[in-house]
Amino acid sequence: MKILIIEDEKELAADIVKYLSDENYLCEIAATYEQAAGKIFAYDYDCILLDLMLPGGSGLQLLELLKQENKQDGVIIISAKNSIDDKVNGLKLGADDYLAKPFHQAELAARVEALIRRKQFDSNNIIIQNELSVDIHAKTVMVNDKLVSLTKKEYDLLLFFIGNKNRVLSKGALAEHLSGDFADMFDSHDFVYAHVKNLKRKLKEMGYIGRIKTIYGTGYKWEQ
Amino acid sequence: MGTMTRLLNKPLKTFAIYSLIILVVSIPVYVFVVDYIWINELDENNWLTLQHTKQKLQSKQFTNDEIEQINYIWGELQPGVSITKVWGKSIPQDSVYEAIRPNKYDLDDGEDRFRCLKSYIEINGQPYQLTIETNVEESDETFVAVAVVTLLFFILLILGFILLNRRIATKTWKPFYHTLRSLQSFELSRDSVLNLSSTDIQEFQELNQSLELLVKKNVDTYQQQKSFTENASHELQTPIALLKSKIDLLFQEKYITPEMLVILNGIEAPLLRLSRINKNLLLLAKVENHQYNEKEQLNVNSYIESSLSLFEDYINDKNLIINNNIKDPIVISANSFLLETLINNFLSNAIRHTTSGGHIAIKLEDRRLFFCNSGITALKTRHLFERFSTTSKDKISSGLGLAIIKEIANKYNWKVSYCFENGYHTFILAF
Repeated sequence: MKILIIEDEKELAADIVKYLSDENYLCEIAATYEQAAGKIFAYDYDCILLDLMLPGGSGLQLLELLKQENKQDGVIIISAKNSIDDKVNGLKLGADDYLAKPFHQAELAARVEALIRRKQFDSNNIIIQNELSVDIHAKTVMVNDKLVSLTKKEYDLLLFFIGNKNRVLSKGALAEHLSGDFADMFDSHDFVYAHVKNLKRKLKEMGYIGRIKTIYGTGYKWEQ
Repeated sequence: MGTMTRLLNKPLKTFAIYSLIILVVSIPVYVFVVDYIWINELDENNWLTLQHTKQKLQSKQFTNDEIEQINYIWGELQPGVSITKVWGKSIPQDSVYEAIRPNKYDLDDGEDRFRCLKSYIEINGQPYQLTIETNVEESDETFVAVAVVTLLFFILLILGFILLNRRIATKTWKPFYHTLRSLQSFELSRDSVLNLSSTDIQEFQELNQSLELLVKKNVDTYQQQKSFTENASHELQTPIALLKSKIDLLFQEKYITPEMLVILNGIEAPLLRLSRINKNLLLLAKVENHQYNEKEQLNVNSYIESSLSLFEDYINDKNLIINNNIKDPIVISANSFLLETLINNFLSNAIRHTTSGGHIAIKLEDRRLFFCNSGITALKTRHLFERFSTTSKDKISSGLGLAIIKEIANKYNWKVSYCFENGYHTFILAF
């Protein structure tokens, strides 16, 4: 999987590369409009992470460029300009997703994974993790061919864990994923614990044991 | 402030009192002058008549009987003149005097004042007394007449003052009142310039120029402060994003100890708060700078419902009981993002500050939206809606939630208020 990170803040781009590199991803970085345009012309990417404010041009122009060239690359806008206009314009110009800075790396990783999965038209929409299978279209989860009945939040959590295998996920990141941007308005995220507990219990009942590990004082980790 | 007088009514009152005093004083003076002239004229007239009569009497050589006859005829025809014989040796001096006599023709008081001249003449060696009396207006009658006329003029004067005053007010003071109105409607957060019309009156022109300069300086300072806030929070976004991503990476390190994890968590919490404050400052600056100007017809109801479902986990966490009494759709014209932020802030505030097992009620009463949550003591209302005036020790609070509510409400001319009633903190949005 090839990912292009268009981001002028080198440190942040390097962090993203480091976080995503555990997966089967090949990451490239473009720090200016020129570099980005060059790479977009030359190669195809499975996913492009696009900052809107770039030296030499705007990320929105790059979106137009992709459209002109009839490129099918998936695009996630990552922008500090947390403005509704940018979001609407970006999505109108063909971006697939929008993530406002500052974000949790885990959130970005989950979105990248989801996007790539959506873009793979040829494969079926089923994720298989050993005895566990998730049908993305039907939103159903099976363990050993038996249906696990999950609430919407438990299902979201499961996908988030699968998108961040073997990574430590803080409670804050999990809360933000479940409650959106407004999670940071609250100081207690105890509900995360309840949802994870229920998810663990339901998976365990079907015989899928021990994937979600509790990390002391921090959060959880899906071990694969 | 007590009773206030308009600037132009002040001199009017003084002028009116002054002219009243002058006119009142003038009445006796007029009466005296008129009387004096009147009497002088009459005395002169009496004297002329006397001289004429004397000359004629002496030149005509009347007999004593004829004199009697003349006196009789005079008495019949012209009672003002009489000639009578004097019995005595010495002839007295001429005299001038006033007499009041009854007069049956006078309908007012039946009396008349007369100016008299008494003189003596010798006819045929016999001294005669010649008396000439002329009716003169009584001075109290003069007084009444003058007073009535003066009062009439006083009324004319006052009417004139009022009319002139009004003319001056509408013409000369027009620029002043225009300036006053412009100042009253000026708002630093909304208007960028104070436009005052030019005038040909020097003082007003100077006043306007000074005011325009003063306002310009204030607006500049205000703009600088605003753009500083926006620029500062823009600049802070990248370092905050970097810190957040570094922490995420550190969490993944293999050889990290539980102690290090505790410290990392200790960094993450304040960082989250920093990020929230920064986000809110940026939002405030953007609302102030008139961004988010697109408007739509929105149903408040659905925003409340989606906000409640967004916060469902937090509500369940605290076992809060929610009473949402709003059934009918409430349609208002606003920006979608701002309305969402407003409702989310109201509700997240209520959820955060209600203790476990508490109540939250949402209701609508004629275009007033109530967000009530159970509490123990009232909040200090003085600076409640100001930035960073937070009354709670809440670690997550950005201190800007209510300021944002206020700012958004201001943008749409809605009113927000707070009261504490029957154990409920109540925030009211009147739109």
